[in-house]
Amino acid sequence: MNTATAEVQNAAETFEATGARGEADALFRVEGLSKFFEVQKSGFAPKKYLKAVDRISLSVGKAETLGIVGESGCGKSTLGRAILQIHKPTAGKVFFHGIELTGLSEKQMAPFRRRMQMIFQDPYASLNPRYTVGDIIEEPMVIHKLYPPAERRRRVQELLLLVGLKPDHIRRYPHEFSGGQRQRIGIARTLATEPDFIVCDEPISALDVSIQAQIINLLEKIQRESGVSYLFIAHDLSMVRHISHRIGVMYLGSMVEYGPVELVYGAPLHPYTRLLLSSEPIADPKRARATHVHIPEGELPSPIDAPPGCPFCSRCAYILPECTASRPPDYRQPDGRTVRCYQYSQRRRQQRRAFGVADITATQ
Amino acid sequence: MEMDMKMRMNTNAGVNVSMSMNMNMDTNVDVNMNISDDLFLPLDESEKDSEFIAIESRSFIADAARRFSRNKLAMAGFIVLSAVVLLAIFGPVFSHYTFDGQDPSSRNSGSSLAHWFGTDKFGRDIFVRLLYGARISLMVGFVSAGINMAVGIAYGGISGYLGGKADMLMMRVVDIIYAIPSLLYVILIMLALGSNIRSILIGICISSWVSMARIVRSEILKLKTLEFSTAAFVIGASKARILFRHLLINALGPIIVTLTFMIPQAIFTEAFLSFVGVGISAPFASWGTLVQDARAFIDIYPMQVVYPVLAICVTIFSLNFIGDGLSDALNPKSRR
Ligand SMILES: Nc1ncnc2c1ncn2[C@@H]1O[C@H](COP(=O)(O)OP(=O)(O)OP(=O)(O)O)[C@@H](O)[C@H]1O
Ligand SMILES: [Mg+2]
Repeated sequence: MNTATAEVQNAAETFEATGARGEADALFRVEGLSKFFEVQKSGFAPKKYLKAVDRISLSVGKAETLGIVGESGCGKSTLGRAILQIHKPTAGKVFFHGIELTGLSEKQMAPFRRRMQMIFQDPYASLNPRYTVGDIIEEPMVIHKLYPPAERRRRVQELLLLVGLKPDHIRRYPHEFSGGQRQRIGIARTLATEPDFIVCDEPISALDVSIQAQIINLLEKIQRESGVSYLFIAHDLSMVRHISHRIGVMYLGSMVEYGPVELVYGAPLHPYTRLLLSSEPIADPKRARATHVHIPEGELPSPIDAPPGCPFCSRCAYILPECTASRPPDYRQPDGRTVRCYQYSQRRRQQRRAFGVADITATQ
Repeated sequence: MEMDMKMRMNTNAGVNVSMSMNMNMDTNVDVNMNISDDLFLPLDESEKDSEFIAIESRSFIADAARRFSRNKLAMAGFIVLSAVVLLAIFGPVFSHYTFDGQDPSSRNSGSSLAHWFGTDKFGRDIFVRLLYGARISLMVGFVSAGINMAVGIAYGGISGYLGGKADMLMMRVVDIIYAIPSLLYVILIMLALGSNIRSILIGICISSWVSMARIVRSEILKLKTLEFSTAAFVIGASKARILFRHLLINALGPIIVTLTFMIPQAIFTEAFLSFVGVGISAPFASWGTLVQDARAFIDIYPMQVVYPVLAICVTIFSLNFIGDGLSDALNPKSRR
């Protein structure tokens, strides 16, 4: 083993619990992460890029849940996968337990793989159909050489119990189970290596409503008992609000607003967040009509070779001259959240204050 | 029956849960329709059990075997092929004739109790020679299929899994091999290495593994995008582990089917080569050489040609039926 590997492994084993929910010593810290997909590879035309994830920064503390919401195709899964180094990021840095993961070889990653896991959206496709439930849950322990081989089966049965399945399901095949049960199998697999960070990529969107609540309860129970952190991806706003401590709203690869749940839901700043919250379906039709908000129409721009301005400017009701000129940076607000919108630049906020104009939040 | 009842009970339970949720929404939810934490109650133990086992326990292989055994043609093929294999292995042991034992006193005799299929122009027992021929034909078929499988799976699997430039390079090599007629390889190798089984095997294998490689590659390209392959990566599985333990076992169906069509092809190639005179040489017998030997007397002793031709036909038909049966049985979509 070379010294670099030893160092990394050492660091992984002797990491210190990061208790703070702050930014600096968070469990997971992501700085300016980008993932561009190269499209149109053939021919002599210049290469085009799809900015699936564009300069996103975030952090997740211990036992914390960071929710990620956004429309389909806005890059939520790509963000989760780039964080876990499944997709090699185009730019940016990812720190886990304070150690930079970007640039590590797969071999050097091994000790970290154990500590970060993922729950997948499709409970049908994420389990190998030729493996028994026991083999599926045992495999992470085999790969990471956890527990003596004789004990692993017992551990599998404990995990099955923990996720609400029966120990004698161990010899069955995934196709014998319903969607919710398969998701439980997937959860048991991620727990096998005792991770401290789990990316949950829409773990409930493929399930029945009644079963969604069961899975959410299970995830919350696991967090209470083991102190695991989640990056929880979803497009169901109320579910994300329920489970998350902080939240990030994504639009076409950008994290447009990022902050504590109460602030983002209570007083959304970014025009897109406000659009999203107002378009959330309301169960009661009477109330839905009463609170109906005009949704600005506008074409959803193609994420491929997007124009230079803010990706939201084609649908935005509060457009400024600078919006079409260049992509806005993340502006940190006094209340601690960050907003990627020129309306919230230092200058614009000062102008509004000088003229006694309320922030656009108040107009709604 | 019992399962049905359980299902109904549980769907009822599910409906109750969602109904009570709706009622809660009407009463406790604020204007913005935000669901507050206190709406989420932990389920009690009985409801946790509410999802049922959807299908009875049956492994993939057991399922496929059951479907295969229902296919009459495939089963017939399987029985006939088994008989041919058993005869080829044990038949010569129980016969007091050998493949090269000549009996000048009874040449070109017809069927009799002593010589079931008669004798050839040297007085050799045709039945025993057919059995020896079966040994060679089946060996050529199975060994070349085995080599093709090993090489094709490894090559196609790696090519498909790596993708990108490596895949492109590896597939161009396959294209080049594919572009040259396979008989050309065989004949060239026979000329270089002599007429024996080894060079026949090399000649057949050098070109026919590419079709296996192509099939495996396209399967792996499909499978590697599925989430369980990503899941294996996330839990820390190495590339080799993902390819060999996760992806390839899911490509088993097409691999086995391709294999069952490769065997008759190899048998046919060997017979053809022996027939045109570049294959197995005297006194060894293969089905191809038997036809070749008897060809000169086809007007006088037609049966001497008919027996080996029948043997080839029966074997190849059986293998094809088995192949068809397997491709149906291993493809759950064709479930009957
Ligand atoms: N491997 C890839 N190659 C090229 N483009 C990709 C790839 N993966 C994703 N994309 C593109 O990146 C964008 C973001 O995809 P992503 O799957 O991250 O969206 P998402 O927010 O997870 O959507 P959903 O809610 O539907 O899961 C999409 O436009 C998608 O087409
Ligand atoms: Mg997704």
